[in-house]
Amino acid sequence: MDDIDSSDGAAAARAGEIGSIGVSTPWKPIQLVFKRYLPQNGSASKVHVAVKKPVVVRLTRDLVETYKICDPQFKYRGELNPKRYLTTPSVGVNNDGFDNVNYDLILAVNDDFCSSDSRQRYIVKDLLGHGTFGQVAKCWVPETNSFVAVKVIKNQLAYYQQALVEVSILTTLNKKYDPEDKNHIVRIYDYFLHQSHLCICFELLDMNLYELIKINQFRGLSLSIVKLFSKQILLGLALLKDAGIIHCDLKPENILLCASVKPTEIKIIDFGSACMEDKTVYSYIQSRYYRSPEVLLGYQYTTAIDMWSFGCIVAELFLGLPLFPGGSEFDILRRMIEILGKQPPDYVLKEAKNTNKFFKCVGSVHNLGNGGTYGGLKSAYMALTGEEFEAREKKKPEIGKEYFNHKNLEEIVKSYPYKINLPEDDVVKETQIRLALIDFLKGLMEFDPAKRWSPFQAAKHPFITGEPFTCPYNPPPETPRVHVTQNIKVDHHPGEGHWFAAGLSPHVSGRTRIPMHNSPHFQMMPYSHANSYGSIGSYGSYNDGTIQDNSYGSYGGTGNMFAYYSPVNHPGLYMQNQGGVSMLGTSPDARRRVMQYPHGNGPNGLGTSPSAGNFAPLPLGTSPSQFTPNTNNQFLAGSPGHHGPTSPVRNSCHGSPLGKMAAFSQINRRMSAGYSGGSQSQDSSLSQAQGHGMDNFYQNEGYSGQFSGSPSRRQLDSGVKNRKQTQGGTTLSTGYSTHNNANSSLRSNMYNPSSTAHHLENPDTALSVPDPGDWDPNYSDDLLLEEDSADESSLANAFSRGMQLGSTDASSYSRRFNSNASTSSSNPTTQRRYAPNQAFSQVETGSPPSNDPHARFGQHIPGSQYIPHVSQNSPSRLGQQPPQRYNHGRPNAGRTMDRNHMNAQLPPSNTNSGGQQRSPRSSSYTNGVPWGRRTNNHVPNVPSTSHGRVDYGSIA
Amino acid sequence: MDNSAPDSLSRSETAVTYDSPYPLYAMAFSSLRSSSGHRIAVGSFLEDYNNRIDILSFDSDSMTVKPLPNLSFEHPYPPTKLMFSPPSLRRPSSGDLLASSGDFLRLWEINEDSSTVEPISVLNNSKTSEFCAPLTSFDWNDVEPKRLGTCSIDTTCTIWDIEKSVVETQLIAHDKEVHDIAWGEARVFASVSADGSVRIFDLRDKEHSTIIYESPQPDTPLLRLAWNKQDLRYMATILMDSNKVVILDIRSPTMPVAELERHQASVNAIAWAPQSCKHICSGGDDTQALIWELPTVAGPNGIDPMSVYSAGSEINQLQWSSSQPDWIGIAFANKMQLLRV
Repeated sequence: MDDIDSSDGAAAARAGEIGSIGVSTPWKPIQLVFKRYLPQNGSASKVHVAVKKPVVVRLTRDLVETYKICDPQFKYRGELNPKRYLTTPSVGVNNDGFDNVNYDLILAVNDDFCSSDSRQRYIVKDLLGHGTFGQVAKCWVPETNSFVAVKVIKNQLAYYQQALVEVSILTTLNKKYDPEDKNHIVRIYDYFLHQSHLCICFELLDMNLYELIKINQFRGLSLSIVKLFSKQILLGLALLKDAGIIHCDLKPENILLCASVKPTEIKIIDFGSACMEDKTVYSYIQSRYYRSPEVLLGYQYTTAIDMWSFGCIVAELFLGLPLFPGGSEFDILRRMIEILGKQPPDYVLKEAKNTNKFFKCVGSVHNLGNGGTYGGLKSAYMALTGEEFEAREKKKPEIGKEYFNHKNLEEIVKSYPYKINLPEDDVVKETQIRLALIDFLKGLMEFDPAKRWSPFQAAKHPFITGEPFTCPYNPPPETPRVHVTQNIKVDHHPGEGHWFAAGLSPHVSGRTRIPMHNSPHFQMMPYSHANSYGSIGSYGSYNDGTIQDNSYGSYGGTGNMFAYYSPVNHPGLYMQNQGGVSMLGTSPDARRRVMQYPHGNGPNGLGTSPSAGNFAPLPLGTSPSQFTPNTNNQFLAGSPGHHGPTSPVRNSCHGSPLGKMAAFSQINRRMSAGYSGGSQSQDSSLSQAQGHGMDNFYQNEGYSGQFSGSPSRRQLDSGVKNRKQTQGGTTLSTGYSTHNNANSSLRSNMYNPSSTAHHLENPDTALSVPDPGDWDPNYSDDLLLEEDSADESSLANAFSRGMQLGSTDASSYSRRFNSNASTSSSNPTTQRRYAPNQAFSQVETGSPPSNDPHARFGQHIPGSQYIPHVSQNSPSRLGQQPPQRYNHGRPNAGRTMDRNHMNAQLPPSNTNSGGQQRSPRSSSYTNGVPWGRRTNNHVPNVPSTSHGRVDYGSIA
Repeated sequence: MDNSAPDSLSRSETAVTYDSPYPLYAMAFSSLRSSSGHRIAVGSFLEDYNNRIDILSFDSDSMTVKPLPNLSFEHPYPPTKLMFSPPSLRRPSSGDLLASSGDFLRLWEINEDSSTVEPISVLNNSKTSEFCAPLTSFDWNDVEPKRLGTCSIDTTCTIWDIEKSVVETQLIAHDKEVHDIAWGEARVFASVSADGSVRIFDLRDKEHSTIIYESPQPDTPLLRLAWNKQDLRYMATILMDSNKVVILDIRSPTMPVAELERHQASVNAIAWAPQSCKHICSGGDDTQALIWELPTVAGPNGIDPMSVYSAGSEINQLQWSSSQPDWIGIAFANKMQLLRV
């Protein structure tokens, strides 16, 4: 051992003298001063608690503090440190030097935001992106130990108000429709003011889909990834449709990957341009490559425009390049027609504002050129050629890049190169999937917005579900269900029945009885419907339903506005509710019903329930027409909105000369609306109307403490989801059954059901329907099956009642028995009974002001409004696109009128009963002017009440 | 004769200790050899305006360290770093240059023949104030010795031209205080910061920096940085209030190649071996100095150090002499010890 030590020492000494490493042996420390390390026992703690700070800390992190101890006169001010500015330009010009010339807040690293409400601090760490709206900063939140994205809005009123809309819409989507964060909509965490800038705090996400394609060198993504992303986007779009919200700027840049923990999950962001479907005030929306034909043409638009954008995105994900990279609107439309082989339908072209810019009228006799055909009929319009456009506009149209050599959609997708060295079997498989993709894209990029697939329909396409694709996909029917509901509304149109009855039926004496029952508003309804039921002429009045639909849509919009603005305009929401309650108080019946709601959870016997009492006066065993009120009332309770449209018409039947004039006006309105309204518009509007009615109803419930925490409330906002809601839980099964009975009531008169075998199973079917926890595309199949079965049972049930008086008695008894058997059944009954009156009163409140927007909207027509485009998180794309892509808004002089109109929507709450009767008549008079204007100009049925969307000229 | 010499050495005599009248922190080995041996500079750590720098003479043959009173001088504020000029700096005189950082960057000429220390320049990088933001550390470029980089509390790194006593360039290196800087090549340096990141800068592209490490929790300060001069792919850094020494490979940003976790308290100093690319020494509050050998692949239970030395108090400073690679210098309490390896 000593010898070894000596040898090491000698070697080390020799190496030391030479001053270099020994050649043959790698260096090793000798064990003289340093000893061999022995592993510590487990008992020793890892890190001791420091008694005082190490010197190295006091001379690094705490150096200033240390030097101030050494010399109290030591001066150092951190504010003098050079700042790393993130905002360009970083020179303070506005807002006392806090803002630059563009009204952007000047951001530097380590700037500190503070939200007074949540007491969170947001420390700026980096800039994620910037755009016309402002900037997005990556911020650290010390309280939660996490990063967030904070959108700092420009310090200008127009952007501020527009951002408030985004806050309202996104808060509603997050909390009300998607509380469990399953539909791929970005989460909004907080919003506050900082140095006069509105700051919106979002969850922090990763790169967007454009950046993803870019790092893939603009080659398309694999079909499995495209399918995965498409599924998720469809979930988001389905949610938006349910909420009646249009995104208006769907594009790859606004779809972001989530954090690295979920590498294939995506989120939809940037609702700064979003709007409600009933408030489509702006016409310049959507980024150009993803703009729908109806927006290009200046036609009224719906949530269908987002489906068009979605189709463009899916194509771009697969191809790696945009499908319609037009240099101008003309160029985009030209490419659409060329690639898709079709053109917009004539009914759109006839009414669109911009048709003459892009099309010429050629009549239906001669179909020259390659304008394409639609629906087998030759189009009366032909797209302009470049030369023709130039002749009209006095300038050449801008033409963008041509990526696809003038091929059509099928050729583009089929000829996209397969992956190198792909096995033959895989080529065959991918070829099949490509065929499915082509069919999928055709359904999404359907020129006719009424025929374009909805998110629900698209989610069932084989490309999405993975089922083998064998033939063109026929989407499951969504429209027919709505039509059925529409017909039901026609069935119960009392004014219509009376009007025809006066001239056609022997029930003239019935009309004279109505004035005698004016004071009990609710009881008047059964008699009206009885007369309506007896008038065969009221069936099949399709246009009549359309009119009611439009009329109700206006009211729904008004209510909807407050609902969606609640995060920001809470006082307005409460004011609206209070007004409604106060007006209801004017009616003794209504007042009693309101008071009963706090006791809704308690047991109610028949003897103490006024709703039960409403059944008692009706004699049993009388003529069938007297049983209709039961069914109809129950159905109407489920859809309180149906009472709305009856208001002006019923009053017109009192015999006054003005009433006749109103009736005539209705005929004109019918003709106009019937012609110009596409079925898609009716469908979505009707669905929205239903949802809004129920929405208002249940919101009141929430206000009184019931249902406030229910995540399933999201299902109340569409016809389809309404059914699912009624299926949820035994307490609502009765309502579901009644609903189907009402449906079948009409069908039994139009079709002969094949058998009565299902009659006995109806209650079981209703009771056993499962309750879906949330919207699940896979669940839809089961739901459809259940609905079909329920409809069949209902048909049988109705047939039985219609055929045999005895059976009718049995059914009636059965329903009453259900009511007796379960105390919880009383609650739905009470609620259903209450809803019609409530809705009725609200309509009276809303009708007068909701008609004014048409007149004011007409005044806006001369000056079009623009929304600036937002390019968030991908400034690099700016350099690749023509400047026209980022057009900016023009001043709007109508803002003052908008504010006045807002006041008009909140009438005094002390209206008396007499006033209620006068309101409908007043609205009847007002209707004449806007309808006439609409006939001439076809103004979309949109109230211009959104202040937040007023746009001022912006400095880019 | 050679055999008898090692036998005569006792174990305690292989450590050379200097007892200072005051606590020590900064320390530097000179690369020049004077008539009386190699020079070592030590800086005091007194929480007082008046601090001192002492020049010691170390004779490895006689294993003795002697102070040179004539070369002791006052220094305002405790110096945060001391460094002798690299051997590549050719100067007409035989004097040695010493740089110190603190309230300013100061250059001193040590002239043993005349037994004098002359202040050459006081360098202020602040453009707006008479007070310079205090400097936490600096590094002298041994490839291009006229270039010296300082790092500061004001989030900047400043590159100086020592010959002209002017700022060559200044970069906002981090978002918080910069705690240490280390040169890798003539134009490439790295820095660590209170923001928890290690960044590499290239003077040929001043607009960008590469982040090669970020502490797991944002804003956990990194205190010191050492770049392996034998293998420029590797760096080491230490985190505040942590017993880890983090070994980084600049080719694999973000992911440390190793984390050395055998200290029982926070680590205060690190130094790579000048004669081996795989060895590094660390000193910490647990009073231990550990020598580690980096394996090719880390075992599942972590890496054990090869050797250990227990000082009598927390080790604040550690330097591995490049001119005498058999010696490691440590500073703890009032003592400076030279350890033979």
